[in-house]
Amino acid sequence: MFNKKERITRIKPELEALVGAENVRTDEAEILLYSYDAGMARARPEAVIIFNAIEEVAPVVKVLYREGIPFLPRLAGTNLSGGTIPLKGGAILNLARLKKIRQIDTGARIALVEPGVVNLALQTALEPFGFFYAPDPSSQKVSTIGGNIGENAGGPLCLKYGVTSDNVERLEIVTPDGSVKTWSFRDNGPDLMSLMTGSEGTLGIVTRAWLKILPLPRCIKTASAAFTSMDTAIAAVTAIISAGIVPRALEAMDRISLEAAFNGRHNPFPAKTEAVLIIELDGPDSARLKREMTAVEAVCAANYCANFRAAADEAERELLWAARKGAYPAMARLAPDVLVEDGVVPRPKLPEALRQTREILSKYKLTAGLLFHAGDGNLHPNIIFDRRDMQEVKRVKKAGHEILKACIDLGGTVSGEHGIGVEKRVAMNWLYGPSELDFFGRIKKAFDPKDLANPDKILPVAEDKPAGSAGLSDKASLSPEAREVIDELRLRARSGTRTAVTGLGTRLKPERIMEGALPLNLRALAGEPQIDRENLTARVEAGLPMEEFRRRLRAAGLDLELPDLKGSVGGLIATKACADIREVLLGLEIASADGTLMEFGGKTVKNVAGYDVVRLLCGSMGAYAVILAATFALSVRSKHQAAGGENEQWDSFEPDEYHLRLKKEFDPQNLLNPWIYREPALK
Amino acid sequence: MIKHDHKRADDALDKARREFTSASAGSSAGHPVSATNELYPHEAAPGHLAALLTDLGEKTLYDAAAQCNRCGYCETVCPTYTLTGRETLSARGRNQFMRMLVEGRAKDPADAEEALSTCLLCGACTSACYAKVPTPDIVLEGRRSLDGYGENFVSRAAVFTLLNTPWLFAFWLKLAYLVKRTGLPRLAGAMGLYHLLGMPGLAEAEGSIDKVPLRFAAELLRKDPDLRPEGKVKVNWAYFAPCGPNFLFTDVAMATVRLLKKYSGDGIFIENQCCGLLAHNYGRLEDAREFARRNIVRYEELKAVHGSFPVLADCASCAAFMKSYEQLFTADDAWRARARAFAGAVRDILEFFRPEDLPPTTKAQQTEHGVVTYHDSCRACHGQGIRREPRAVIRKFTGKRYVELPESEWCCGGAGAYAFTQPEISARVLDRKLRNIASIQAETVIVGATSCLIQINAGLRAAYPGAKAVHYSVFLDSNNAAGH
Repeated sequence: MFNKKERITRIKPELEALVGAENVRTDEAEILLYSYDAGMARARPEAVIIFNAIEEVAPVVKVLYREGIPFLPRLAGTNLSGGTIPLKGGAILNLARLKKIRQIDTGARIALVEPGVVNLALQTALEPFGFFYAPDPSSQKVSTIGGNIGENAGGPLCLKYGVTSDNVERLEIVTPDGSVKTWSFRDNGPDLMSLMTGSEGTLGIVTRAWLKILPLPRCIKTASAAFTSMDTAIAAVTAIISAGIVPRALEAMDRISLEAAFNGRHNPFPAKTEAVLIIELDGPDSARLKREMTAVEAVCAANYCANFRAAADEAERELLWAARKGAYPAMARLAPDVLVEDGVVPRPKLPEALRQTREILSKYKLTAGLLFHAGDGNLHPNIIFDRRDMQEVKRVKKAGHEILKACIDLGGTVSGEHGIGVEKRVAMNWLYGPSELDFFGRIKKAFDPKDLANPDKILPVAEDKPAGSAGLSDKASLSPEAREVIDELRLRARSGTRTAVTGLGTRLKPERIMEGALPLNLRALAGEPQIDRENLTARVEAGLPMEEFRRRLRAAGLDLELPDLKGSVGGLIATKACADIREVLLGLEIASADGTLMEFGGKTVKNVAGYDVVRLLCGSMGAYAVILAATFALSVRSKHQAAGGENEQWDSFEPDEYHLRLKKEFDPQNLLNPWIYREPALK
Repeated sequence: MIKHDHKRADDALDKARREFTSASAGSSAGHPVSATNELYPHEAAPGHLAALLTDLGEKTLYDAAAQCNRCGYCETVCPTYTLTGRETLSARGRNQFMRMLVEGRAKDPADAEEALSTCLLCGACTSACYAKVPTPDIVLEGRRSLDGYGENFVSRAAVFTLLNTPWLFAFWLKLAYLVKRTGLPRLAGAMGLYHLLGMPGLAEAEGSIDKVPLRFAAELLRKDPDLRPEGKVKVNWAYFAPCGPNFLFTDVAMATVRLLKKYSGDGIFIENQCCGLLAHNYGRLEDAREFARRNIVRYEELKAVHGSFPVLADCASCAAFMKSYEQLFTADDAWRARARAFAGAVRDILEFFRPEDLPPTTKAQQTEHGVVTYHDSCRACHGQGIRREPRAVIRKFTGKRYVELPESEWCCGGAGAYAFTQPEISARVLDRKLRNIASIQAETVIVGATSCLIQINAGLRAAYPGAKAVHYSVFLDSNNAAGH
């Protein structure tokens, strides 16, 4: 065993040969200054390696992997969950110099960028072409595309345009052992690209990203609405979205953040204001926008809005946004440190979540402004403190944990856009049961068997002792039919019987089923869909025909933003016959080959807690796990039909090495749809 | 129930506010800094600032640095971070380093050498920071203890000469200029004259200065009968000659005075000393205080006779420094009030004129300078918050020929002596400035500080000779002359 110092010294000449002597830094200054980020955790790396070209990354990773030295990529270091802290020492891979925008293709609506490109720099470069890149985290002035992808960053605009994962088309990845892969969510087979997004550098390093870019909306209209209670404000939010209006941003803040933001300056809202909404609409047609804004105003009025102001010009728009954007800076001036907590609840639960948050904060005698992306149920208490006051830090941590637990209890999740990193690892125990955590662990192992890529992040380690909560699995409302499927799978696993997972037989034709595989028919999983009208989500069992599901939705005045598709819900997800299904799919209940029930995702639109298993399973063709039920995001029924159609080549799938590795982890005996991953390859 | 909770939370907010206000008013209340964690031994205290005057009130060095919550929003405006991508050369990094030194988590101050010495002190980070953490001041505090308080021979000799025997300083400088004029600039360099004078900038700058003056502005102005205070009851302005315009760009000083005379009526030459910035940035804080005291005394003498008047300086670095005089005397109550009063009278020429003060221009005048743009000198925009005023005036003179400079607040890399202590980074910082100038095809770049004038002109000469940098006063004055 080498001691830490020696292990870097030994390979230093080799690294220097790859990136240049001045770019392998082990001096005390560099070590110290890479021991922190914008979060609270601290740990010293052993070396910092600076890259001047993308091509240098893979060879360096190869050397580190061979030597068993941990590493992690780092860019601006603005993340709020400790994701860039080298917990086990090792090397920091500084990619900040890789900041070229390599291509902007407005025809194909793609921008190809290097990981170090600052989000705002990309926006600035796109503007002359009349385009923009949708994810707009508050940190966009500094945070980079690579970091945004690593954390799956969101922002106000993601209500309409989706989070980072929805705006990435293709990624080039350097895997932990140093090989270079390019994956897109459109590739047939399990969606590895989406798995990478939000994986916080634990599964690989993004070296090139092909991003979706959109034409700038021709018109934007902004308004603010003041309410005398938070409950009516959130009721208005729900009503706006239920009315079929999708604002580009729907932000809210409570009285305390407002006061902080307008500290000393004129507060333009009425005296008894308890909550303010900032509502922003965009679109190509100003007449239509005007109509929508009138509708928004009517909805707000119906919910006892005290004051509604539509911005007449750009200056007034800036003023309205100043109330929202000034809140964090105000908190940053009140105390040396600010903890920006990040929890998500189903939208209708926001008032309850806020009430509990306020109670927790006052219990721990803490001051915080509450800001939230109301449209998607994402709340950000900005708790102020001084890190030098150890007692206060303890209270802040405890309060943060209690807020997250409250979110979980309300059916939400522990991170909407900041990631898990090290600071929320323990919360993973409360959100997930042991089987889900084990499943995440298998993913990590498939990609990084030596546990060197950003180790000890995302997944709880021994010191994060489970704290009583049993996780979601117990809550799954399983039908008797689903229980039967699970029991059957358990029996078959015990006897080593192979299973052909079949739905309605729409795509998986009998002749394709390998001899000796016993069919497992999911036709019976066709219970009544559970539609949550307020939250605009629906849980549906896998065997229900999609057409039937949509009939039910339409009868309720709702719909899915998807083209018309045939086949069972589960079959459509498993075959990824329409790649866009990922955009409306929020949660999955699955059973593994040995009959372990697991639940990933849920009823919230945003969720970056753990790996994106939901999207990974899109296109998994029943070979990773059996899909039992799915939760979808709904839209209010509109006349216009989503474009697109079925991918005819859905089954021409050549497994990548990493598809195979995952298969070996999830289903080592190759029990599920065994013909998909051929025998010799698996051995 | 809800109401009640809000009330309680609100009380907590108020309490927090009170606590933080009291903390900022009474230094580090509640967070005592232990003796072992201090950055410097007690006896070295006079060589340091007793407190920093930050946007959030008076703070100890530790509290000022601890106000940084590491959000990182300063990173993309920090020129050295943007160019190197290294946290170590970033504003946040420098702050954190100082904090670690104070906390004892960084053991050896020598490790901070690279981080601290590469700071341009441009202050872009402070402008970007929500809490306005004064990183340049924090860095300077670090440099003071690192560099041994400017105790090396060169800086000591230079500052000493400038402070105590300004005539000797002027003599050496003229000698150096003479050598240059006789076509032996290398000899001057070899003689180490410039360095001896503590103005190493001049050695390199010689290529960018057409002719060095053999009569300094102060000498010329002293002889100007219009500028004598004697016999004047009320003065509208007093001209303070910063070292750059005084020793190097005499034409700038003369242009400023001409403008002031013409548009602001009766004024005087204050016959000042150096503002002390040189000594301050060399780490010789006691000397800087002495310069400040002499200037304050001079101002008070005149004020006693003539009443209040603004003190006009035409180098943004100098003006910004004088506006911060109070910070030098936070441990000295008597001088503190006097310094505050003086600082309150200081005006940068960039902010002094309003467009309506100046005569209208003709079309011909507007096109005379080609495409005109304005470079925000760091100590004007970040140091004094001057951005709008000069632009309003320049627009009036140039009409449609004015084009906004992309990244106009990006430092030019001059930064006093930085161009000579960190030539490599400085050149890269300058390079970006030149690219931006070239990108709008500018022909005239208006600046407000001597250092920018030297640096940008040196760069333009080599890379983009179609353009030149002109001091704000000279630009206004030339329009003025053409009008007659």
